[in-house]
Amino acid sequence: MSMLEITDITKDYGASRALHPVSLSVDEGEFVTILGPSGCGKSSLLRIVMGISQQSGGEIRLAGKRIDMLPPERRDIAMVFQSYALFPHMTVEQNLRFGLRMKNVAKAEQQRRIAHAMEICTLTGLSSRMPRQLSGGQQQRVALARAIVMQPNLLLFDEPLSNLDAKLRDTLRHELVALHRRIGATSLYVTHDQAEAMAMSDRIVVMNAGRVIEVGTPLELYRSPRQAFTAGFLGQTNLLAVTASGRKAHLPWGQLVDLAEDAAGPGQVSVRPESIGIRACDRGGRDTGSCAPATVAGVSFMGASALYTVAIGDTLLKVSQAGGDALIEPGRTVALSFPDRLPLLEDRAPDREAA
Amino acid sequence: MTALSDHAPALRQARSLRFTSDDRLPVAISLYASLFLAIALPLGLMFLWSIADGWRPPNLLPQAYTAARWADVLADDGLLRAAINSVVIAIVVTFATAIIALPTAWAMARFPFRLKRVVEVFILAPIIIPGIVVAVGIGQIFLALGLAYSVAGVILVQIVGTLPLMIRLMTAALETIPDDLIHAARSLGAGTPGIVRHIVLPLAVPGLLAGGLMSFVGSFEEFDKSFIVGAPVVETLPIKLYMYLDPYSMQLPLASIVSFLLLLPALIVFVIAGRVLRDDLMAAGMGKI
Amino acid sequence: MSMLLRDRRMLLPLLLAPGVGYLLLFFGGPLASAFIGSLRLEDGSFTLDWYSRIFTRPSMLRGLGTSIYFGVAPVVVSLLVSVPLSLAIRRHFVGRKLFSGLYKLPLAVPGIIVGLMIIVLFERGGFIDRAIAPLGFGLPKLVRDDWGVGVILASVWKQIPFMTLIITSAFAAIPEDIRFAGRTLGASRLATFFFVEVPLAMPGITAAVLLTFIGSMGSYAIPDIVGPPTARPLSVLMVEEFNLGRFPQVFAMGMVLSAFAVAVLVAYYTLTSRIGDAHGRGDAR
Repeated sequence: MSMLEITDITKDYGASRALHPVSLSVDEGEFVTILGPSGCGKSSLLRIVMGISQQSGGEIRLAGKRIDMLPPERRDIAMVFQSYALFPHMTVEQNLRFGLRMKNVAKAEQQRRIAHAMEICTLTGLSSRMPRQLSGGQQQRVALARAIVMQPNLLLFDEPLSNLDAKLRDTLRHELVALHRRIGATSLYVTHDQAEAMAMSDRIVVMNAGRVIEVGTPLELYRSPRQAFTAGFLGQTNLLAVTASGRKAHLPWGQLVDLAEDAAGPGQVSVRPESIGIRACDRGGRDTGSCAPATVAGVSFMGASALYTVAIGDTLLKVSQAGGDALIEPGRTVALSFPDRLPLLEDRAPDREAA
Repeated sequence: MTALSDHAPALRQARSLRFTSDDRLPVAISLYASLFLAIALPLGLMFLWSIADGWRPPNLLPQAYTAARWADVLADDGLLRAAINSVVIAIVVTFATAIIALPTAWAMARFPFRLKRVVEVFILAPIIIPGIVVAVGIGQIFLALGLAYSVAGVILVQIVGTLPLMIRLMTAALETIPDDLIHAARSLGAGTPGIVRHIVLPLAVPGLLAGGLMSFVGSFEEFDKSFIVGAPVVETLPIKLYMYLDPYSMQLPLASIVSFLLLLPALIVFVIAGRVLRDDLMAAGMGKI
Repeated sequence: MSMLLRDRRMLLPLLLAPGVGYLLLFFGGPLASAFIGSLRLEDGSFTLDWYSRIFTRPSMLRGLGTSIYFGVAPVVVSLLVSVPLSLAIRRHFVGRKLFSGLYKLPLAVPGIIVGLMIIVLFERGGFIDRAIAPLGFGLPKLVRDDWGVGVILASVWKQIPFMTLIITSAFAAIPEDIRFAGRTLGASRLATFFFVEVPLAMPGITAAVLLTFIGSMGSYAIPDIVGPPTARPLSVLMVEEFNLGRFPQVFAMGMVLSAFAVAVLVAYYTLTSRIGDAHGRGDAR
């Protein structure tokens, strides 16, 4: 059953349209991430869901009730802000209690919920601290605890990890996933960080230029994106123009690959660097046929893998090889193998600035 | 890279403006010495004058001391009444100013609007226009309204002088509250009254303190407007005291006593509240045009 | 959608009403009536006499000049003290917190008492005169002197805390990194100060200068007590006229003084075109 149902939400600022009709739904207990570059409209959408800003059209339902005309305090949504927005004049405990007091929750129940939230957010012992006495990670956890004590129908996250350093961000990302599993709150998470989105979400909503580009599980979107924008924004990829006929297609340099379905005419495929096989050709040139045109133009050693830039015809391909203990030096000719059943991309968003 | 970051703290320290341990003390000593010469010395001398019983040149210190003049001045009933008047008026003015200023300061701090700059300059105007012009103009209007020579009239006219600074100080304080805080409070179920009570007011305390202090001191010492609107029926301490202080007929000993009476309450309030004042806020409120 | 927007539109005037309304009623109204009063003869007919007197009578003209002199001279001196003082306060020294509380005390001292202090200290036969007499020195005439040294001393004493407070904050608002950036780019400490910090602190410094200038130009108590009897500023003449009951003349003089203050502000705004900027900012937010 879907807990949050967003239907045809639009937002106009004067003559310019920040959100084209956007629709999406979040099931009960699901963790959905809105992913997109800055300015894609994800924050506008979040602010509209929260009630800080008003949509120009469309409707929002939460637990079956229409909420888009309600003020934020009556929406039963709790939000974790990018700036944490902790009340600086209240202790940790008072911060947590604030919402419960506003909603007139009984004293005993307040106590129980606060204790529980403090425990699951590992804040025990900090209840009488002021926010300024806490580290960034602790502040972040207080912000989260303050949201979950409300036991809201929906938890909103506005890039809550982006103010933290990389290591802490990684730790908290895992904590957040674990926490979500435990409390099962329906969550809508906004970020521009694709790694964060893939690591945490049940489903990802990819947005760009005020539109929803594609929706799917992290696996679906990474393995078989249908949109060029998705392919480029999630991880690294090679976007290649192809000419298809039947189930076969010609890559720009003439090589033939298998397609997932029948097609005809020009199109585009996305090939992940790690799904291309790379093998150095013998110097003797026994297998000249497939070797001749491809040359290693550059290599970066990444630790667990090596990333090659391979020149083939006019195209520069990114190819990654796991292990990477025997690096192929630049200048060597290589043989490349491509995966079968490549899906053709639909290109709905021609402005792929994020590739 | 590592070498660079290892050196960074050392570089920072060298470049920062900390005095080396050698000249920290001399600087403190010279600053405090000038403070003593500029503030403590004149105040001290005035106090000596108030208890001096004969202090002719070339003596550096009075020949004899007496408390008789203090006793005389303090025995003046009118003075006590004026002092009570002043304190009551100052308290009422301070609270009324705060209440009037809060909503307007909120609007100035949080709402974008087209004529904001104009409103800002208008709020600054009472500081720019000489008080006596407003006082004479308002005196004539109050005469027509029957408010002249009343405590209410004095309070009303004094607020004209205290309101601008209060609005500006509170605006400066309210501007520092992040939007997210208000949004967070709303999403946690607080309506407008809850937000005002639990978030805005507590966070506006520095502004309220600064504005309240300046209003209290301003009202307690205000002379021009109170004199024109209130005297001779309503007497405040400054009105009473300025009569003693006529520059051409005054006697220094008496004038010193009177100055102390006027100064003391303001200084006490200032020293107590001054400890909690935030400089950045005072500057943002007072020093912006 | 419209509900919230309409609410906000109604909210703004409602919130502005108490403060702005109060000032309109008890400040704007009297000011307007003072302006009208300055243009009327006793019988109610229109006249510019009150203004022409200001610009024709020698004593009045002199008063206008004196007002400007008493506005400018103390500010220059205060600035010369306040900038080094704020730089010193910015540093760390023993008892810094106490000092930054104490130096503000003159903010709470009324002008008339400052005048008295100057008399006690600097009058011939005053404390300093007595203190240096055994050394064979005598104090020149510093109180009610022709150059208004007494007025300048008193005004400076009162202005320094206000100016220092604002200038200190203006310097404090400059991020340390910007200073360090200046230094790493090869500027000496002095060059960083003049080419990086002073320009960045300029808005605060000018605000402090203009506000103190306007304040001391219109001040009455200090020039009345320690000012020269020969040259009296417009503010003192105004009170004299008030004591004579010539209200229209008071109004006209007040208008001229205010007009001068406003002109200075307008010139400042035009030079820095802050009005335009502020509009842009307000709309964008």
